[in-house]
Amino acid sequence: MSQQVAQRYVGSPIKRSEDPRILMGAGTYVDDVKLPGMVHAAFLRSPFAHATIASIDTSLARKAEGVLLVYTGEELEALLTPGPYGLGLIMSMEKPVFSCLATDKVRLVGDLVAIVVAESRYLAEDATELIDVEYDELPPVATVEQAFDPSNPPIFEDLGSNILVQSEPHAFGDVEGAFSRADHVLRVTISQHRHQNVPMETRGCVASYDPATEHLLMWSANQGVHIHRTTISGRLGMDPEKVRIRTADVGGSFGLKLGGSREDVAVAAASRALGLPVKYIEDRYENLTASGQAREESFDVEAAYTDDGDILGLKVKMVMDAGAYPGLAGALPSMIESMLPSAYKIAALEFQSTVIVTNKATYVAYRGPWAAETFVRERVIDLVAHELGREPFDIRMQNVVTRGEEPTVMITGRSLVGVTVRESLERLGELVDLPGFRLEQEAARAEGRYLGIGMASYIEAAPGPKMPGMPLGREEMRMELAEDGKLIVFTGQMPHGQSHETTIAQVAADEFGVAFEDVQVVFGDSDIVPPGFTGGSRSATMAGGAAIMTARALRAKVLETSSHLLEANVADLRIENGAVSVVGVPASAMTLADVASAVRQPGRLPEGVDGELKVENAYDGGSGGWSGGTHCAIVEVDCETGLVHIERYVVTEDCGKLINPAVVDGQVRGGVAQGIGAVLLERSAYDDRGNYLTATFMDYLMPTTMDIPNIEISHLETVPLDPDVNFRGIGEGGMIVAPPTICNAIEDALAPFGVRIYQQHLPPAKLLELIGVIEPE
Amino acid sequence: MGERLPLRSRPTPTVHSRSSGDQLKSPPFAYVAPTSVEEALTLLAEHGDEAKLLAGGQSLVPLLALRLASPSALIDLSGVPELDYVRRENDHIAIGAMTRERAVERSEVVREFVPLLSVAMPLIGHLAIRNRGTVGGSAAHADPSAEIPAVAIACDAEVVVRSSARGERTITSDDFFQGFFSTALEPDEALIELRFPVVGPGTGVAFEEATRRHGDFAMVGAAAAVRTEGAHIVEARIVVIGVSDKPVRRREAEQALAGAEPTRAAFEEAAALAADSLTPPSDLHGTSTYRRHLVRVLVRRALESAVQHSQEGG
Repeated sequence: MSQQVAQRYVGSPIKRSEDPRILMGAGTYVDDVKLPGMVHAAFLRSPFAHATIASIDTSLARKAEGVLLVYTGEELEALLTPGPYGLGLIMSMEKPVFSCLATDKVRLVGDLVAIVVAESRYLAEDATELIDVEYDELPPVATVEQAFDPSNPPIFEDLGSNILVQSEPHAFGDVEGAFSRADHVLRVTISQHRHQNVPMETRGCVASYDPATEHLLMWSANQGVHIHRTTISGRLGMDPEKVRIRTADVGGSFGLKLGGSREDVAVAAASRALGLPVKYIEDRYENLTASGQAREESFDVEAAYTDDGDILGLKVKMVMDAGAYPGLAGALPSMIESMLPSAYKIAALEFQSTVIVTNKATYVAYRGPWAAETFVRERVIDLVAHELGREPFDIRMQNVVTRGEEPTVMITGRSLVGVTVRESLERLGELVDLPGFRLEQEAARAEGRYLGIGMASYIEAAPGPKMPGMPLGREEMRMELAEDGKLIVFTGQMPHGQSHETTIAQVAADEFGVAFEDVQVVFGDSDIVPPGFTGGSRSATMAGGAAIMTARALRAKVLETSSHLLEANVADLRIENGAVSVVGVPASAMTLADVASAVRQPGRLPEGVDGELKVENAYDGGSGGWSGGTHCAIVEVDCETGLVHIERYVVTEDCGKLINPAVVDGQVRGGVAQGIGAVLLERSAYDDRGNYLTATFMDYLMPTTMDIPNIEISHLETVPLDPDVNFRGIGEGGMIVAPPTICNAIEDALAPFGVRIYQQHLPPAKLLELIGVIEPE
Repeated sequence: MGERLPLRSRPTPTVHSRSSGDQLKSPPFAYVAPTSVEEALTLLAEHGDEAKLLAGGQSLVPLLALRLASPSALIDLSGVPELDYVRRENDHIAIGAMTRERAVERSEVVREFVPLLSVAMPLIGHLAIRNRGTVGGSAAHADPSAEIPAVAIACDAEVVVRSSARGERTITSDDFFQGFFSTALEPDEALIELRFPVVGPGTGVAFEEATRRHGDFAMVGAAAAVRTEGAHIVEARIVVIGVSDKPVRRREAEQALAGAEPTRAAFEEAAALAADSLTPPSDLHGTSTYRRHLVRVLVRRALESAVQHSQEGG
């Protein structure tokens, strides 16, 4: 029987262990890795969206100063084993098959045409300008209409068309009954626009192949070293055991850096060919143009509702633009479909989806990749409220599920156990004086000022409730007691801003019985850490749970071993403050360092007693659970300029038990900032020829600190579902729910003009067009 | 020599080309760092057309990184202290070309005698940009959305330029700013000084901008300087940016205000005149129609604010 250890660290906003090195410029990002003899890669990229490569002449580039290697697509492909890249590998995507660099044709502006390796990046870039490529332009496929047009050539021949996946309509519940019972049907087309991850650190790698041992060491910025290794070893045709991926600090990713990229493979192949370390750091132009983009979907929605404001059912047809070289997109429609009803009593859903490919950047995972379900639903709720002349808050309260009452599962089959959206709405009602705001809004309108309030709710499977036949996964962890008494934790999590070094240490310290400072979290080395990755807001539960279970197992082992050293019963021992002692006999205490060193001395333990103080464990997610909540924005729209000012932003959220409130708040704020950026500033713009128009930060506008308001956060910690582990993920929620929150607030502000918002991106000119102040062009 | 980055809506190359244009490392160039104006001008004459003067580097360095500029040599003026000054000379304020924007922003002399320049300074980028960016660099770069050229045109400032071969000449702002990133500077000439006339009594100023984010180039900006006497406007100056290939003075609107009473109706009328006949460019950040609308709004707001300040004592 394990004894209770006093909680000391979990729940405390303890300062991040990562910060001293990062804030003092002493972190190790991939560009900080400098290996002896290292040379540098640059890529020649396509200026066309869609073109065949008629000829390519690299002879001048090969002779240029400092150049060591030039590969065209065909030359490189001869050295590789065909197969998927990036997320395509995780998704087991069979079609389309594509090459590392373009061989026959280019498929987006920024597509990879050739790799040059030279003594410096400058010289490598100089040499790319000496490669002569003749292109024959093909009709670009840059829009949905162009993708559906059978006269356009397929971007990928093996797909036969530009449709990647098309589903039959799926019906859940009594759809026809819901629509026939409805008093009204709302018919709208709602869309999200293409925008992108834009981590502060771009992608990059340093590949170092040792011809003597035939091993490849690769430093890279990624979200999981083992997934990365699978791509690299697979495409290079190497034994995975001979590929080692190392990763230290990662400057953000938001889903972008999952799985080895085409660039990573090309660089690794170049290192193998040269027997030299090769570095490639994606520059910002490349990052914005070709690393990946997300969120381009359009939804034809019919919503059946009653005079009383009950939302009975939805019919939804979705078209998603996966861009070129698809990876993740094909897997998203089923996620969006299953999540659409969310925490509402929507009893009928019909869903049909089509995913197309276009000559644009690959649709990648971006913080809450399925977030369209929240945007569509939360917009529909507000639109229904406006049609009925009701307060959107009231429509939400009327339709949201109540814990312990039917329905307890979504009509799509997902369990709603532990969902607290109703509670988050109630909390918001306490924090925001809605009737008071309506009076203020009325008075402001009389002065020609347009204030608006908007709310939106979401839930996220972080990791999701436990359901039969749907395992939550398996999170491995290893812990050992080092000779100096420190607890070493090996995790497959690959932190890229989530503070795992701090939070896992908090959990492990409490459970094991040592000081936070005496826990070291090791990550980012495929030779050392167990398999895993960071993504999907899973690590709070999965790694938090694994830390509890593994620390518990190691503690039992340390107590068992110590019982021999202290000649006491295990049941009488405890670990506290870094020492093992017999309960009630403080003088008996042996520090963990003494224990760790004693077990290493011959003869201290009886024959046959295992003195190795290390354990491996795995956690299955326990009861799992949802996180979720409600956001509220109060905005003012300047109806002369179309500029939006966010006056107030309030978050009520429930991610179960907080490991570190400061970390949770940071995750919420970062997500909200990205959501504000999405609505007001960020757009990955293409013209209808597939030319990319936002390739610098002059055109792709990221929100700055000046654009983000103070964000008030209120935590609910309502429902323990599991006897041991009630931490749930919060990484994606802010980005999932902030866009509809802001759009709902803007629509409310513009109610006097009868404005209805169907598109997520609302730059100032667009708002003035909606208001009717100016004509659209 | 320039202050900020003319990269909006950079077109993607669309022709058969060796150049991919997708790098962010500069092409090779020679670097020289003169310590006097004379030495700088000699170097400029030697290197001629192929050389670029480097001032604060807030535009030129990004242009180099994107390989949109590929000068054979950079002549760095940061080691030329004689170009860093703000001083009153008779009826004008002289500002050396290498004076940092932040120094102008903090200058009491500028605040008192060229208030329009003073209020424009905080609108230029962010503090870090103004710490590096220079007055001469911004003027020589001639971005049509930049504030310093707009103020120079509004104030009838003079631009002093010099070459080693022909010595010094003085050019009016109207003549100096010729178009999109284009000035009257000859290849062997360096911008030495800007001369802003000292403002008259009873003058109020304002610079209104619409930006999508704090610190961005304005989609549209409107500078106004209004001198009132009693209940009447004596003189108004109005310059608009972001609508043409250079800052544009709106003389019809100015004339409509001369002698008028400073009423909302008068401002509205002047703002309409200021917007009339403009065909601003469309880009990702705003359509032409939107920009023309913004001219009306921002000119009106600038006039209201300028008059309020003039009545509060300038």
